[in-house]
Amino acid sequence: MAEVEETLKRIQSHKGVIGTMVVNAEGIPIRTTLDNSTTVQYAGLLHQLTMKAKSTVRDIDPQNDLTFLRIRSKKHEIMVAPDKEYLLIAIQNPCE
Amino acid sequence: MDEADMKGEVYPFGVVGMANKGDCLQKGESVKFQYCVLGQNAQTMAYNITPLRRATVECVKDQFGFINYEVGDSKKLFLHVKEVQDGIELQAGDEVEFLVIFNQRAGKCTACNVWRVCEGPKAVAAPRPDRSGGEGCVGLRRRRGWAGWGWGWGGGSVSTVTRAQPGQLCRAGSAGAEALASGGAASTERPERPGPLQDETLGLASVPSQWRGVQGIRGETKSCQTASIATAEASAQTRKHADAEVQTEAPEPASLQSVPQYDGPRLVAFLRRVEAMVTRELNKNWQSHAFDGFEVNWSEQQQTVTCLHTLGYPPAQGQGLHVTGVSWNTTGSVVACAYGRLDDGDWSTLKSFVCTWNLDRRGLNPQQPSAVVEVPSAVMCLAFHPTQPSHVAGGLYNGEVLVWDVSHPEDPLLWRTGLTDDAHTDPVYQVVWLPGPQHGHRFQVLSVATDGKVLLWLAVGAGRLQLSAGFALAVQQLPRSTKLKKPPRGETEVGATAVAFSSFDPSLFVLGTEGGFPLKCSLAAEEPALTRMPSSVPLRAPAQFTFSPHGGPVYSVSCSPFHRNLFLSAGTDGHVHLYSMLQAQPLTSLQLSHKYLFAVRWSPVRPLVFAAASGEGDVQLFDLQKSSQKPTVSIKQTQDESPVYCLEFNCQQTQLLAAGDAKGVVKVWQLSSEFTEQGPRETEDLDQLAAEVAT
Repeated sequence: MAEVEETLKRIQSHKGVIGTMVVNAEGIPIRTTLDNSTTVQYAGLLHQLTMKAKSTVRDIDPQNDLTFLRIRSKKHEIMVAPDKEYLLIAIQNPCE
Repeated sequence: MDEADMKGEVYPFGVVGMANKGDCLQKGESVKFQYCVLGQNAQTMAYNITPLRRATVECVKDQFGFINYEVGDSKKLFLHVKEVQDGIELQAGDEVEFLVIFNQRAGKCTACNVWRVCEGPKAVAAPRPDRSGGEGCVGLRRRRGWAGWGWGWGGGSVSTVTRAQPGQLCRAGSAGAEALASGGAASTERPERPGPLQDETLGLASVPSQWRGVQGIRGETKSCQTASIATAEASAQTRKHADAEVQTEAPEPASLQSVPQYDGPRLVAFLRRVEAMVTRELNKNWQSHAFDGFEVNWSEQQQTVTCLHTLGYPPAQGQGLHVTGVSWNTTGSVVACAYGRLDDGDWSTLKSFVCTWNLDRRGLNPQQPSAVVEVPSAVMCLAFHPTQPSHVAGGLYNGEVLVWDVSHPEDPLLWRTGLTDDAHTDPVYQVVWLPGPQHGHRFQVLSVATDGKVLLWLAVGAGRLQLSAGFALAVQQLPRSTKLKKPPRGETEVGATAVAFSSFDPSLFVLGTEGGFPLKCSLAAEEPALTRMPSSVPLRAPAQFTFSPHGGPVYSVSCSPFHRNLFLSAGTDGHVHLYSMLQAQPLTSLQLSHKYLFAVRWSPVRPLVFAAASGEGDVQLFDLQKSSQKPTVSIKQTQDESPVYCLEFNCQQTQLLAAGDAKGVVKVWQLSSEFTEQGPRETEDLDQLAAEVAT
């Protein structure tokens, strides 16, 4: 499992990244660099949002599929890379 | 249509003529009716027909019985006891009245609506109220009651009393017979009777029966008596007892499910797939200028600052009182103000008030507070309880600290310190609620006054506030971090005029003093204070650091809710100093007014915004991000430049700011959106500001 940890560390070390987490298909976090309560909150909410985004894309064009989701807010940017079994979430503070 | 025979006359009738339409008649039946003449063809018809059906009960066995009544080809009429009215138990020989119906299912006639007209002869009789004219039988059974022995009764007659007492017939009858017998016997036993009195035996009297006639006396007197209650005395005493406390635990945060070997290879493959993409996006985002200057407005933008409410209490204004303190309650819907005078120097017995207005209520009358508490002395400061929406603490001019419950208008005073040795001897300038020593539910009140004491009060029963801890400031014990002016002879106390607690460290607080220098103090200080003031609890010296002074007394301090090291102080020199806890010199010094500054407060939502109340009647809002020299907005509260003494931000409804002035008016201002919504990088800017610590 060293590779898993290394990959996450690499992502985490990017400029401005506040936190990283991996969530499974049911919305349960598997790996995280943030504290428990924040992780659980992010995991649950973003999992639902990703499902909704995916179904939106598929409804518009059944041949299409969701590849990446970015949410920009006043304070930071949340990036979600979806997959069949997992979700990778990274939270970054954009430069201004 | 059948015809009815009546003494040879025939009267036609129809179903409409039946008194009881449920009745069915048969040929040869005797009925009772009336006759009338119909207008249409002047025909006499029978109406109001009721069939007479009376017979005696042949026998009764459990649930059913037979009546001696011929119907059809059977000599007896079947009867079910459920048909008997009032559930009376019928016996053989009872005379009853009934209707005959043809039971389709059984294929035979049965009796229904059975009334008992008269009871048959029976030796045993329990008293039973019988409605159906039992007195009709009185005539058959005679009763005699003795009115007396005949002594003193004129005529020596034996009066016979006949009473209609249903149900007691048989017994009475036998009693009567006995009486007769005894009467007769008695007469033979007493031969030496006085002359006029003589015994006589009269014949039996008979009363004609009137069935369904007068009912007679139906009342019976009965009495009952409860059995006496047995009582016993017993007492219990615990021999040993134990105390136990129960405390709910805070809900456990959802714990991360431990997934030791979570499908290793699949996870690795996934990460390999997405890592490149995510890295690319992260880099792009870091370098992107796409969103520069892009702002989204979700709510309606308020461009200007408006005055929502102008509140005042006319009796207090009539006395010329100033608003010395305002406070918002924990729900953010009630604002309270304290009336007093800030320029008076005497111990006047001026009555003053604490008024609260509930701004969320409909029909809010700005001149009529929702609750008014009368206080015997001028109130200098006010603070609402952090969790109880109706408890408010106030410090008085005479040094007392009082806690009121404004939801009880008749008796609002909850606790008071009283004028003891422990209490302050000078006006109390500020009160603050702190979490209690053991656990967070109970709160204690901290009061500061110009006698140099900082006292912590805990509410004990019976409405008293008891001193739980205290601090005293003495000049000799001030830390020598800055050069201070030599104090005038004889004075050893340092008067405290303002206090603010740090939001990051609950035991750290900043005191503003009359000497103009803020002090960093700690609740955990151990050193005893050099003071001659008597106290039940040993006083300690709290000061740990002295900051460089203002040009005059400091009336207000405020610790930043966003940064642990920053705090503001405002003094009578008209300057606001921004200090960092780490150095004695202020980071910046802003001149806001040529007169005094009475209050300064950080905004609870925007890290770089604060508000100050000036002696020129302005409320000035500063945004350190926009301009560090002049205020962003200056709100004119009073028209004639009378000072604004206090102001407070509303932590729940963050666009509201309450300010009280010397005219006794509290104005609630609604701030524009720029003061209530956090900009993108404010926290970082604040950190940057704090980091400008001069080396």
